[in-house]
Parts: sequence; C-alpha cells; structure tokens
Amino acid sequence: MRIAAAAAVLWLAAAPALAHDPAPLPALDFEPPAPGTYTLQRIMAAPDGEVLDLAGRPQRLRQFTRDRITVLGFVYTTCVDPEGCPLALRVFDALKRAVDETPGLRRALRLVTLSFDPDHDTPAAMRGYAGDRPGDDGGVAWYFFTTRSRRALQPLLDGFGQDVRSTTERPGRRSRRELSHVLKVFLLDRAGVVREIYSSTFLHPRTVLNDIEVLRREP
Amino acid sequence: MRIHGGVWVGVLFAWLIASGLSGVTPATADETCNSPYIAKLIKGQEDYVYVWTLGVDGVGDGSDKLVTIDVNPKSKTYGKVLGSASVGGRGEAHHMGFTDDRRFIWAGGLSEPKIYVFDIATDPAKPKLVKTIGDMADKTGYLGPHTYYALPGRMLVQALSNTRDKGGVTGMALYNNGGEFIAGYPMPTDGGGDGYGYDLAVNPKKNVLLTSSFTGYANYMRPLGDVVKDAEAMKHFGNTMVLWDLKALKPKKVFAVPGAPLEIRWSPKAGDNWAVTAAALTSKIWLIKQGGGGDWQATDVATIGDPAKIPLPVDISITRDGKGLWVNTFMDGTTRYFDLSNPAAPKQTYTKVTGKQVNMISQSWDGKRLYITSSLLANWDKAGADNEQFLRGFTWDGRELKQVFEVDFTKEQLGRAHHMKLGSKTLRAS
Repeated sequence: MRIAAAAAVLWLAAAPALAHDPAPLPALDFEPPAPGTYTLQRIMAAPDGEVLDLAGRPQRLRQFTRDRITVLGFVYTTCVDPEGCPLALRVFDALKRAVDETPGLRRALRLVTLSFDPDHDTPAAMRGYAGDRPGDDGGVAWYFFTTRSRRALQPLLDGFGQDVRSTTERPGRRSRRELSHVLKVFLLDRAGVVREIYSSTFLHPRTVLNDIEVLRREP
Repeated sequence: MRIHGGVWVGVLFAWLIASGLSGVTPATADETCNSPYIAKLIKGQEDYVYVWTLGVDGVGDGSDKLVTIDVNPKSKTYGKVLGSASVGGRGEAHHMGFTDDRRFIWAGGLSEPKIYVFDIATDPAKPKLVKTIGDMADKTGYLGPHTYYALPGRMLVQALSNTRDKGGVTGMALYNNGGEFIAGYPMPTDGGGDGYGYDLAVNPKKNVLLTSSFTGYANYMRPLGDVVKDAEAMKHFGNTMVLWDLKALKPKKVFAVPGAPLEIRWSPKAGDNWAVTAAALTSKIWLIKQGGGGDWQATDVATIGDPAKIPLPVDISITRDGKGLWVNTFMDGTTRYFDLSNPAAPKQTYTKVTGKQVNMISQSWDGKRLYITSSLLANWDKAGADNEQFLRGFTWDGRELKQVFEVDFTKEQLGRAHHMKLGSKTLRAS
C-alpha cells in the first residue's frame, strides 16, 4: 500500500495537465507531513440525507460515504471563483488521474461531488457539469449528486458544517446570482467519519493523497 | 525553568507600590493575526469591532457580554454602541476567536470551563448567543479556556488552568465547529516543559504550532497585590514556549523563554517563517525562527521599555507585511511601535500614551486604523481614577496615532473592555 501511495504522489508530480484541466495545478509550495508521522482526528460523523443521482433517482448519501475512503466536495455548477468550485474540480480531476494510475488505490477510494444549488443544478445540469467523469473507465468511482430542494439539502450542509449564502452581484446592468461559501473538501474514512477538511489555501492533491494513505494504513 | 520567586516578588512589588496597586496580564486580537485557515479577511473598511467584555457587579446587568461597536466612519452611528449579547453571568470574560468560515465567534472566561458560541453571520450587527459548550472540564480537566484558534472545521482551544489544583498545568482541547469534543492535548511537562499554556498560533506550511505560557487560576484570579507578596505563588508563572508538530499535535521542542511569554504572532508575509512573542514579566521580545540547519530557535531580540519599571507588555499586533509590531504596555498605558524590518533586531520607533491602562491592540488589514481596549483581568486592572474602561479608535498615518473616537464602557454600563475582533456587514458576500 505504501508503494501504491508513493507511486501516486510521484505520478502526480510528473503528470501533465489533465484533459479536463484548463491549466495544471500549481506545485505545492511546502512539503506536507509524510504518512506515518501523524494520525487523523475523528472530526464528526458525515450526515445522511436524500440526494439525486445523474438520472434523477433518489439515493441515500450514506451509501456513498461508507466502506470506501471518500473525498467529498460541495460545488455549484455556475461558480466562477477560481479559488472556489473550479479549484475543487481541478483537484478532484488530478486526484482521479493519480489514483487511476495506481491499481492499489483505485478500489479503496471514491469521489463525491454534491451541488449546493438545487434551484439551478438539476440532474441534467449536473450531467453537463460532470461530463465523462463518472464513466465506467475502470478507474476510481466518481459520483455526482444534487438534491431535490433546499429543504433536502440543508441537513447535509448543516451536518458537514458547509456555509453557503445566496447573494446577487451586479457587474454592469446584468445581475448574477452568486452562492457565497468557503470552499471545503472533506475526507471520510470507511466508517463515514470526517477525518480531514481542506480549504482552498491548503487544498492540493499531494496533501489529500498523504491523508488517504494514513487512512489506508488504519486497521 | 520557572520564575525565581524572590526576584519577581521584588520587582513586581516595587512596581505595585509605584503604580498604586493593581493590574497585569495579557491577551490576542486583530485582522493580521487570525488563523491562516480563516478564508475571509476584511481587507477594506471594517464595520464593527466586537468587544468581549467582563461583567462588573453593579454595572448594567453585571454579566459578561459581546458588545458591538460601529466603527465605519461613514455610518451615522460611528463610534457608538450598536448592542450587546449578554451571557447572563460573570466568568472573567477574556478572549475569543472566529471559526474558519467566520460565521461564529467562540468566547470564554478564565474562571470557568464554559465556551460561548455567538452567531455573527445571520446579522453581523447583532451577534446572538446560540450555544454554550460546558464539557471541557469533564472531558479534559482543563479550566479557563483562553485562545480559540480555527483549524479546518475545528477549534483548538488553549486553556490556562486545570480543575484539579487550579494551577498552571493545562492543555489544549479540540472541538469540531459543532461544539463536539474531539480530543485533549496536555502541555508537555517533560523535556523542559512546565505544562503551562497561554496562546497558540500555527504555520501550516512548516507544519508547526507554537504555544506560550502564563499562569493558572490560583494566580490570575487573585488580586495581583496578593500574588506578588506570595513568594510561592510567584514561582508559578510560565517560562516556556513549545513547538509542536501541527498535523500530529505532538510537542517537538521546548524553548526556555523566561517571564510569561504571551501573544504569538507569525509574520503574515508570504515566505516569512518566523514568529514573535513578548514576555510580560521580563519585558522582552523573542523571535522564534528556523535556522539554516532546520532547527528552530527562540532568541531574545529586543527590550520593551525599562524592564526595571515593569512596563508589562501585554498584547502585540503585527503588520500584514511583517515589518512592524505594535506593543501595548499596560502599566504605563503606552502604545509602542517597533520596526521589524530586521526581526532579529527590532527597533522601537514610536511611543504614545493611549490610556491610564491599555491591554489589547488590534489593527485593520491595511494598518491605517488601530483599536485599543483597557482591561486585563478583573482583579488586576488598576483602581480608582486609573481604572479607565474603554475602546478607543485611532488612525495611523505612519507617523502619528490620532484618536478618532472613544466608547466609555463604564459610562455605557457595559463593563471592562477586553478582547476585540473586527466585523463586516458585507464580508459574507465577498
């Protein structure tokens, strides 16, 4: 397992830009702590609730937060803040590529992208956002979900401690609805417990991969 | 490692006589010293200063409270009290801190193990007490939560004391943002550690956490005059800082830093990897920096005022470029500016008396506005006419501090003004 994780990190460092990436992620400007030098705290249990998959079918989120290590992030598809949702998507893309190239990791991990904009992000909108990422390509599983309503979404936001607030920006004459939020990506263990949270300043595939390796080494 | 009682009794007693008896101790604040995990900083004009205020018997409702002051010069209520959120009791209110998403302020008092959580997002002008966390003592045995430091989705709380003997041996308690306890981390008592705590601050890119050390309930809740006459009590002040592995939350190295090192400020400038602190009783600035060989060292780099007169440095505030450091000295009511262009040799370049007693100092991100409050501890504040209780606002043009408003906390029936945090009505939309 250690070899697999190290291979993923090495691959990540050498890999070219992703097909999905408009530009490669900048190199990490610090050396993250190595797996084996720390444990991850049990921060909180991941919440459960009803979500809608890309076909519009209702699912329980807990089916996608247990039994595998899970990296989960909230997005909204019209977000244009480069330090927000687009960054999360780029990091997920990079993670997927690194993990796909590492057979020992592929089946241990899943990625989950959940919209916090049910008003706009219908299953159809999420399908457009996801593109070919959820395809059965033999790589790490990546699931995209939205919710039926704000009411269905709220317990998930509360449970993860994810803030979001609707605002309206008016650049020139045209107004544009924005969802103000702090980018957070959550790392969950196989029991569905949140073990690490990454904000934009410290969200990088290398740090996430190291933490995934820490969880993989746990009994 | 601890302070030699005889020396400090003598020095402090001399100061007490000179000052007419009263106050000493510390605190944290401002926009340039927030946790690096706090994503949203106020880089323009702040709208509010939140002041965590000690209740005073017979003043207003007598309870600790979070007071909101309007500090936007364009507002009709500039320099006025907008409101307050009382906790309905008195517990030696001291410090507070934002959660990583800046939606909540966690605050507490030094005489109890309680933590109060205020919602500042729903209406930033009217913070609301939404939760009281009361299990810290049961979970850890720690007493007197002091520093509230945001980690992603968590708050790391540094306590000052313990419920067993109410001395200075204590630790840190980690909670998730929902207020659920995660783990406790005792301050080290081996390898030169004295087990004491005070402030904490992190440098994630170096994977390090720094902590400092003060004293326990048995000392900070006693009248200062009693403490300094008690040679045994004077042995029980912190003389150490600890460097921790941040990710592992394990101590790595203990530094000898005599005289109660208090507030810790990492330089906010990108690429800088050093921090400073001020030791209250020895009146020294210390630099904590990684050497060429990778080893971290703590070095005494400057003297604040005349240590023989015990000016008592309390809060410090570093500029966003790491080039300057404001230092408040409580006893002489003086605000000092140190040029930190060379952090290994800080030079005092400006002083101004800003009150009869001054403790906390907070600056705006651009450094053009400063806010100063007056209170240290209920039993350590000065007495009589010297017991001014205020928030004063100043402007700074690089040459002169100019007072632009004052809120008299006694006249307003609020209490003793202590820790400050800046607020904005538009921050959540940014």
